[in-house]
Amino acid sequence: MSRQATSEAGPRKRRGSEIARRNERTGWAFMLPFCILFAVVFIIPIAYAVYMSFFQQVASGGGAYGGGEMINRFVGLENFRYVVTSGAFWSGIGRVLLYTIIQVPVMIIAALALAMLLDSFIIKHVTPYRLGYFLPYAIPGAIAAIIWVFLYNDQFSPIVKGLAAIGVHVNFFAPNALIVSMANITTWTFTGYNMLIFLAALQAIPRDLYEAARIDGANGFQIAIRIKLPNVRGAALLAMLLSIIGSIQLFNEPQVMQTVDKGISNSYTPMMMALNTSRGILTPKGDGPASAIAIVMALIAGVLAALYAYIEGKVNES
Amino acid sequence: MKSGSKRMMAAVAAVAAMSMALAGCGSSGGSGDGKSGDSKSGGKVELTYLHRLPDKQGMTMVKDTVARWNKDHPNIQVKATKFNGSPGDLIKKLETDVKAGNAPDLAQVGYAELPEVYTKGIVEDVTSEVGKYSKDFAEGPTKLMSVDGKAFGLPQDTGPMVYYYNKTEFDKLGIKVPTTAEEFVESARKAAAQGKYIMTYQPDGAGMAFSALSGASSPWYKIKDGKWVVNVDTPGSEATADFYQRLLDAKAMNLTPSTDPSYAGAFHDGSIIGSIDAAWNAPIMMDWIGDAGKGQWRVAQIGDWFKNGKKTGPNGGSGVAAIKGTKHKAEAMEFLDWFNTQVPDLTSQGLIVAATTEKAKTPQSWTEFFGGQDVMSEFATANDNMGTFTYMPGFSAVSSAVGEAADKAGKGQGKVADAFDEAQKTSLATLKDYGLPIAKD
Repeated sequence: MSRQATSEAGPRKRRGSEIARRNERTGWAFMLPFCILFAVVFIIPIAYAVYMSFFQQVASGGGAYGGGEMINRFVGLENFRYVVTSGAFWSGIGRVLLYTIIQVPVMIIAALALAMLLDSFIIKHVTPYRLGYFLPYAIPGAIAAIIWVFLYNDQFSPIVKGLAAIGVHVNFFAPNALIVSMANITTWTFTGYNMLIFLAALQAIPRDLYEAARIDGANGFQIAIRIKLPNVRGAALLAMLLSIIGSIQLFNEPQVMQTVDKGISNSYTPMMMALNTSRGILTPKGDGPASAIAIVMALIAGVLAALYAYIEGKVNES
Repeated sequence: MKSGSKRMMAAVAAVAAMSMALAGCGSSGGSGDGKSGDSKSGGKVELTYLHRLPDKQGMTMVKDTVARWNKDHPNIQVKATKFNGSPGDLIKKLETDVKAGNAPDLAQVGYAELPEVYTKGIVEDVTSEVGKYSKDFAEGPTKLMSVDGKAFGLPQDTGPMVYYYNKTEFDKLGIKVPTTAEEFVESARKAAAQGKYIMTYQPDGAGMAFSALSGASSPWYKIKDGKWVVNVDTPGSEATADFYQRLLDAKAMNLTPSTDPSYAGAFHDGSIIGSIDAAWNAPIMMDWIGDAGKGQWRVAQIGDWFKNGKKTGPNGGSGVAAIKGTKHKAEAMEFLDWFNTQVPDLTSQGLIVAATTEKAKTPQSWTEFFGGQDVMSEFATANDNMGTFTYMPGFSAVSSAVGEAADKAGKGQGKVADAFDEAQKTSLATLKDYGLPIAKD
């Protein structure tokens, strides 16, 4: 467009730039709703959280009760010092990392296997399966956790009772089983979702590749391993990244399970710690330290995601 | 090209990760259901009242009670809204609403929470407005609505701890309500041998229960010369820790947390035949047990199990406070005095009222459930026996720390006494974090 305009004579050129300007305005007008929402629900809250992380709320009025007044006191990096030296915070990070290491590979492999099955010639009618596997994702995370709390309960659960009937006694709330119990809920919810990502990638592979492979004498299994798998690498990277980011922010499952098991502490995961700090049931309390927890956690999640992408890139190069 | 786009994707993902984590942190704004009380038109005052009463089927609904008031008082119109969430979340909501200037005029505040919300600057001083109404309420609860020599509202209900037990089962086992800790442990052993539990261990409520039971003899918190003196290590605390520890060691308590669905189940199937709980727990228990144990249960006063003599302690109980920024303190208190003395309405909500204007009648269904016992007068006795317990600002943090330590003790990963050590430590740390003065001893 612009290249064309420069080669034209004067008057046309001016009209051209007018059109360009109008187009530009129209473009921005289309962008406006997004920009406003993005600023209101994203940029401003984040900026506010960053701002708050430099303050602490303290009583200012004097006397035993502080006179009923609290002020925001600037404390510099004190909140961050607290977070990075807090044992509870790092224990929380440790738990979510352990959870990520257990949950993400299991879910990704399961999702990939299901997607491969659906994409193969074994299954004739794909839609009911696709819908069925995806269905758990339609249930909000907190509701899913509540359902599973009942399924884990030792008095009502058909799972616990069924296993007990064949002589296997499980306690889903045992301290060393908690992480696995939570990972199971997440896996149940998100496997179908990730399967869809893989399925979309699989179906984008040109069919003539399979034909060529068959002519070369490859069987179905070889096609899956040699052609399909390498072609969904990009999708796998995306799914892994999203899963890692999601896992670090583990919240719904422990928060809901805490209602029936106080053994899940108020700082079980960094996200829970941030919420409970903000609610004032952890000391130090308030939005300042809570914001600092969230920011440090965001940085860790960012570093992990970048690290994963870097390693993935190196592996691909070699 | 390919690796370039991948790097791009990684960068985007990294930024997305950070923003997602951060976006979760901003404090949630008020949902706008509490309009500020400055909407005055032609002498008409509009008040907003945020409560968290149960409002269940069969109860007199808060909105119906309020409608009666609105009919008779065209110039003071009240809009009541139920807050669906935990008491802790209500504080957080009020805190943000006050900052945003759209807080309700009146809101329900627990006695244990009042010092905290006062320190946080959420409540309004109404000392000069409530004076003439104090005669309508019991003295203890009225005092609990005051902090730092200022009154912030009027009391609504109380939560004295009592002992609930199944008399029929007790008779079968040949035991009585124990009078000493020694006898309690002995009876609990006897019952446990038959698969019955005369006591429950509730880590989720331990913060309130331990402070109430051990505080009945001597309080944890005192104020000396405008400074806090924290002393959790009292004979009462030692006795309470010892009581629970011995029952734990004897495996003579039900250990299911009270928020676990199995807990209600254990009441229903009759394996729990005794429990220390607040008075307001009566209708909840009745719900759990249903017809299975109807007529078998009784209410008794807490025995001298915690070096407490005849005293008991408070677990919950709340009043209604004027919220910072209300423009109509006098009208708000006038309504509140009326509302908090609607004894039959509040009783129907399962409350043990703080009002003394009329005697609360025991509802028929309660009398039937408790084998003809006049439960309300039993609760009134408990109310009179209630020791005063001064809560410190930030007690919710102490309470949650005690709960976590109590849970560990229940699972054998610690001792009950650790919960009290934790209370001492967390109390001091929390006061310091609030910037409040602590006395050096």
